[in-house]
Amino acid sequence: MSQAQATTQPIDVERRTGRSFWADARRRILRDKAAMICLAVIALYVLIALGGVAYDVVAGGSDAVPAFADTNDYDNANRDPSLEAPKYWLGTDWAGKSILFKVLLGAKTSLTVGFMANIIAVPLGMILGALAGYYGKWIDSVIVWVFSTLASIPGIILLISMRYAFKGITILGLDLTGIHGLYIVLGVISWIGTCRLVRAETMKIRELDYVLAGQAIGTPGFIILLRHVIPNVLHLGIINFSLGFVGAIKAEVILSYLGLGVAVGTPSWGSMINSARMDLVVGRWWELTAAVGAMFLLVLAMNIFGDRLRDALDPKLRNV
Amino acid sequence: MPNDSDNAILKVTGLKTYFPVRGGLFSRTKDYVKAVDGVDLAVPRAGTLGLVGESGSGKTTVGRTILRLIRPTAGDVTFDGQDVLSLGQRELRVMRRRMQIIFQDPVGSLNPRMTVGDIIGEPLKVHAAMTRPQRRSEVGQLLERVGMSAIYASRYPHEFSGGQRQRIGIARALAPRPDFIVCDEPVSALDVSVQGQILNLLSDLQDELGLSYLFIAHNLAVVKHFAHQVAVMYLGKIVEVADRQTLYAKPIHPYTRALMSAVPRIEASHRPNRVHLSGEMPSPIHPPSGCAFYPRCPLTRERAKGMGKTDTHTIVTDIQVTSVVRQCTCQVPVLRGAPDNPAHRHACLLQ
Repeated sequence: MSQAQATTQPIDVERRTGRSFWADARRRILRDKAAMICLAVIALYVLIALGGVAYDVVAGGSDAVPAFADTNDYDNANRDPSLEAPKYWLGTDWAGKSILFKVLLGAKTSLTVGFMANIIAVPLGMILGALAGYYGKWIDSVIVWVFSTLASIPGIILLISMRYAFKGITILGLDLTGIHGLYIVLGVISWIGTCRLVRAETMKIRELDYVLAGQAIGTPGFIILLRHVIPNVLHLGIINFSLGFVGAIKAEVILSYLGLGVAVGTPSWGSMINSARMDLVVGRWWELTAAVGAMFLLVLAMNIFGDRLRDALDPKLRNV
Repeated sequence: MPNDSDNAILKVTGLKTYFPVRGGLFSRTKDYVKAVDGVDLAVPRAGTLGLVGESGSGKTTVGRTILRLIRPTAGDVTFDGQDVLSLGQRELRVMRRRMQIIFQDPVGSLNPRMTVGDIIGEPLKVHAAMTRPQRRSEVGQLLERVGMSAIYASRYPHEFSGGQRQRIGIARALAPRPDFIVCDEPVSALDVSVQGQILNLLSDLQDELGLSYLFIAHNLAVVKHFAHQVAVMYLGKIVEVADRQTLYAKPIHPYTRALMSAVPRIEASHRPNRVHLSGEMPSPIHPPSGCAFYPRCPLTRERAKGMGKTDTHTIVTDIQVTSVVRQCTCQVPVLRGAPDNPAHRHACLLQ
């Protein structure tokens, strides 16, 4: 009897609230197995990075002098990977520091750089792109001129010259020679892609009837921008955030490899690759392998996740 | 039905809207697209003016220029005695409450990221000082007025059919309680059965609320049952305007006749004098001299044929020999009253 009642429950045809674009996208990404696996990998890295933060706090390090800098142990320098103790699992470097710890602490540097660079770049690109695309005329000309000029300079040269330009400059108590300067440099050069995309999309949206309807109603221009344009390009920002993360991580590695990245002594995958580059010749492969491997896994996971996120968010790829 | 121009809620005189064509170095203005090239219209109070023409004739631009969504090049628009084109930002916002628009495309006219309630509530936010619950109940009433349930307010546009979306668009236009609505081909993108429903809805709303419409269409059949006055537009100019009965009974301009014979009819076999239009509308950047319609005009061709000229090409090249054709190619026609009925105005030089 009770079973029969359960099966004859009516289906709620008149659902009261509709499903928004965002709810739809969330549902889609949650159903995507590959995206969820990648998200789990990214979450693991985030946990490790948080562990790195905790370690600095507990061991009393600072941005300038990380706690890890004085763990040198010259008696155990250049050890092979072994199972003797956890800190030897991936061997040690020339000063006897544990490669495993170094790799784990490097996650913090990479993730903060990726996050901070994009938190500068993506909103900057979106705002400038939306302004250029919506208002056009001289605003558009100025913004296009700025990003065309920036884009015409090879990225790496721009990075290096800006790093040198920031040397010794302190703003609001932040020393721009170090990692803070790196966030800004990477943020300032990587908004161009987002800006271009958002500008083009805004120019398309500007001509749509719902924007015209807003104008016919008498909604002020910047409210139209906020209510009708930005929500329709926001997904581009999210996609670019996830894809730009990878770019920033790689840029930090390259700059640290060139000696222009994080301060000496700060554990980062780039400075590990830099310090290990001569080791490979004498057969000490573990430091390089550990740094590259850690970066590879994170970059792969982020790329796949970014791709899947785009599929879930970009209406043009929907239902394909 | 009122049809004299004194009783018009909206009067348009000499309206011109040109779009610059830019090109070359430093994007110089090379030319102009003459989308609207000297248009006079009068929309009767609580009545409907149908504006008909092929795509590209400038009908939509007329509608948008009237609402000041596009800046005109020249001309006057008077709404209820007030000059719309000279209003400052603040006065314009007040005026916008009274003039609204319904769009053709039921997909592009609703923001996909907003709920139906927010879409219809936007004009209320701008124009009416209402609390949130007041707005919600007003949105519910508007939805019911256009024949939808108030519970749909929390749904998103993609969950509705084309006809329902068009109803939502109508509800949004009604929200600020306008006096005048530009209906920009509101049924062209819909199924025929749904077209009827939407037209009935618009007509009911007109009776209930005393709305005036500028009804833009590319099809004379749609306008036939709906408009009180009909204006036919070709290449940025009005070629014929009259009240509905007169225009449908006695079309004068050859372009109007061609449009009428393009209306599908069930008794297709009894159509002895069907007018075919050949070719496409000429470019509005370089419109033909004289009467813009002459390269496609069956009447010009007929007259020329009587003089031994057989095809349009010969007409154009051998222009000098026929005075009738010269009239068409050289003289710019102006709207004038028909001999039997001065209110029936047309712009054909040969009639």
